[in-house]
Amino acid sequence: MRAPTGKNLGLLLCLECQQVARARQAANPRCPRCHAPLHVRKPHSLALTATLLVLAAVLYIPANLLPVMYTRTLLDEESDTIMSGVLVLLQAGSWPIALLVFVASIVVPLLKIIALAVVWYAAWRGLPGRRLQRSELYRLVEFIGRWSMLDVYAISLLATLVQIQSFASIGVGWGALAFGSVVVLTLVAARTFDERLLWDEA
Amino acid sequence: MASIILCPACDLVQRPAPPPQTARVRCARCRALLPRHQQARLDWAMALTVCALVFFVLGNTYPLVIVNMNGVNREATLVDAALGLSQQGFWVLCWLVLLTTVLAPLLQIGALLYLLAMLYFGRMAPGQRVIFRILTVVRSWTFVEVFMLGAVVALVRLAAFARVLPGIALVCCGLLMMTLAALSNMTSPSQFWRWVERRT
Repeated sequence: MRAPTGKNLGLLLCLECQQVARARQAANPRCPRCHAPLHVRKPHSLALTATLLVLAAVLYIPANLLPVMYTRTLLDEESDTIMSGVLVLLQAGSWPIALLVFVASIVVPLLKIIALAVVWYAAWRGLPGRRLQRSELYRLVEFIGRWSMLDVYAISLLATLVQIQSFASIGVGWGALAFGSVVVLTLVAARTFDERLLWDEA
Repeated sequence: MASIILCPACDLVQRPAPPPQTARVRCARCRALLPRHQQARLDWAMALTVCALVFFVLGNTYPLVIVNMNGVNREATLVDAALGLSQQGFWVLCWLVLLTTVLAPLLQIGALLYLLAMLYFGRMAPGQRVIFRILTVVRSWTFVEVFMLGAVVALVRLAAFARVLPGIALVCCGLLMMTLAALSNMTSPSQFWRWVERRT
């Protein structure tokens, strides 16, 4: 027996206002309440998510290898990657903050890329079984995604506050741009993915 | 078609729980949270929006942090933090920070003020549907709470070689973050459109 889903019953859900509408023959159906375009599933979901995800995975490498920050003092110049930034925090004796940055900037982006790839593959092949786990993995990715922006904000504040007129100055490195791109790309990739694809043909 | 709902996460058709929904309602199949039928009050939402506006204005006029290094004071507001990135040539990052911490909350507050005030006075708000959809998008790009934590990380790193003082704006941003969270709970799309349907 086919599951009683909107798709099987000819019903469309507006993802913006949760209004349920009957699918009509119109070429571009719109929500009767908020006028948002309606689709059975998000358009080109798999292709878009895959593209964004591959881009994010490629940029993850420079994001971690290139320096995100330069610290210049009168005596020397130091460059910091994300990982060495974590070590600086650890040496400063604030291990909870170091752990926080490590999780938000290194673990979370990597976890997001891997988890989205797993979920994407399952949706692409229409894998049966363990749908609930995959759905919950996807929701976790959606929930924690924004927290990776933490380092971008920290760097922007540091670079603004520590400027040339004082004895030290902090500059932004190309790694920060790569890192910011990874965060935004994974955020958008998670949003273009249609979770309902995991449950189709159930 | 009010008698059935579709799960936004797995598309399963189900009957909504009876109205006074005090607890969270989850999908029977995929356990996703379903939009809740709450009874929020329009005047409370209005009051909170004005609150958010006050916190936003204060949070953007006062410095977030003050740093004292070798007797020289430096302070930065929220906008300064973004502009600092563009001064170093990273204007893409500058826009990203500006959008997620300043422009998105501002648009959110502005849109809500307009829509709720029009509803309150029983007028048809021109462009209501487009503005509410913009509000939904903008909401998903508001990262004030992440910025707060980022500011804490920056303060800890600076504390190693300078005296740092958290500014008034940091407190205001914290309050703004809580107000916005409460507001997006009270003015969920289903709640908003129920208000609209009741007025017309």
